[in-house]
Amino acid sequence: MSEPGRDVGEVDLRLALIRQRYGDRLSPEQLADLRRAVEAIVELAAALRAVPLTSADEPLPRFQPLRTDE
Amino acid sequence: MTPLFAPVRELGEAVRTRRVSPVELAHVCLDRLQTLGPRYNAVVTLTRERALAEAGRAEAEIAAGAWRGPLHGIPYGVKDLLSTAGGIPTTWGAAPLRGQTFDFDATVVRRLERAGGVLVGKLAMVELAGGMGYRQPNASFTGPGISPWGADAWSGGSSSGSGSAVAAGLVPFAIGSETWGSILSPAANCGVSGLRPTYGRVSRHGAMALCWTLDKLGPLALTADDCGLVLEAIAGADPHDPTAARRPFRYDDGEVAGRRFRFGVIRDVATAAEPAVREAFDRSLDVLRRIGTVEEVTLPDLPYEAITRTILMAEASSAFEDMIESGAIAGLTAPEDRFTAYARDAILAKDYIKAMRLRTRVAREADRVLSGLDALVAPGRPAVASPLDREFRSAARGNVPDVMGAVGNAAGLPAIAVPNGFSAAGLPTSLQFMGRAWEENTILAAARAWQGITDYHLRHPPGVC
Repeated sequence: MSEPGRDVGEVDLRLALIRQRYGDRLSPEQLADLRRAVEAIVELAAALRAVPLTSADEPLPRFQPLRTDE
Repeated sequence: MTPLFAPVRELGEAVRTRRVSPVELAHVCLDRLQTLGPRYNAVVTLTRERALAEAGRAEAEIAAGAWRGPLHGIPYGVKDLLSTAGGIPTTWGAAPLRGQTFDFDATVVRRLERAGGVLVGKLAMVELAGGMGYRQPNASFTGPGISPWGADAWSGGSSSGSGSAVAAGLVPFAIGSETWGSILSPAANCGVSGLRPTYGRVSRHGAMALCWTLDKLGPLALTADDCGLVLEAIAGADPHDPTAARRPFRYDDGEVAGRRFRFGVIRDVATAAEPAVREAFDRSLDVLRRIGTVEEVTLPDLPYEAITRTILMAEASSAFEDMIESGAIAGLTAPEDRFTAYARDAILAKDYIKAMRLRTRVAREADRVLSGLDALVAPGRPAVASPLDREFRSAARGNVPDVMGAVGNAAGLPAIAVPNGFSAAGLPTSLQFMGRAWEENTILAAARAWQGITDYHLRHPPGVC
């Protein structure tokens, strides 16, 4: 179950999407497992968002326009 | 000579001088794959017909004086995510795909054929290379991969069969793939050498895609030297894979005795490892000081594992979108693989992109640290092989730290794992050397120097001869 301090609202919102899409395939035990997985995803996102970047920090790999004849 | 457990280099010379027949060698490997392979759940498909045709061709060419190089006439196996023509199934380790076939050979298979290699089998792997979030070894329709070092010891993952087949002397070398840990882990669990090349060094055309920006193909073999020989054969640009770099690779097998290396150790890199792994690593550092210097280095505080995990989960979710959304994953072997991937719909695009932006910083910081070193060293895996019936700890699942794996795979850096000891239960431990991008020759030299003053790579599991 969720620990104090976690953003349960955000977990619930994201879990609702999964339940909406796949709920008819999932048992209560699997849904409970998926809640833990979503909690982990929210924690990962929080760790990423905690690192400040500037708009000049581009992703890797850089997108390259493609010509198939070259 | 006896071909069993002979390194590729020795076998190649024996084949060239016609002391060993490629056809007889192919028969030896086919027989061992058939009789011993099931003991380790190592084999998906024997490619007998193709092997004997390739071996016969090699024998005729060599008899005619047309020797192609050290892999000519040498048997090998590939992880069953590399496509093969001729009706040979390519199952990706997944029960729903048992009948899947392709009408072309993967570039790596074509290049090994060009080098004269003899494909004897498609080797077992964790279903979909572990991309659905498996937690325990029984995650393939061929059963849990078993290390030749222990009947209850896992060989994976995810290149499980590639590791166990080399360790048990079923093939002289094998090809595996790594997205995060899938070459280094089986090399560690099976006590063999495994090389993860720089991202883009080896074409992935014809290989199952798990994560487009993380997937690499590389060799597992008995020695680091053999890994270099194989890498030279499979590396290079490929018009079918735009990520395959136009950087020619020539294996530098020059003398390493007397060469001095500069090694770095990330602070606390082994702290979370099991005691047997930590002790072997500490002993290894003492040995490494005989061939170079060892200094502690630091990386800035970044969420390395979160970055690589986010990229891995998001890309895998997209790569297998059809199987996930159709519900076909319900046919997978591991119960957790049948639904865990649904959670990844909860990853936001902006978080994936943030991870990709942070990846730039990871690559820059890793290169800064490595620019003053020949290699970073660390345990190849934080634990010895897990029992078959238990959940394992995994950085990709987030329950054990793995800065080396997170950084190395996010930044696309080469690494090689080599055996460096044994636990009290007789299970192998492993040491990894990780280098700057495109510096395979440097880490291969370091690993060869290590194997020049140690004998762990010369030991073989009981009951396999």
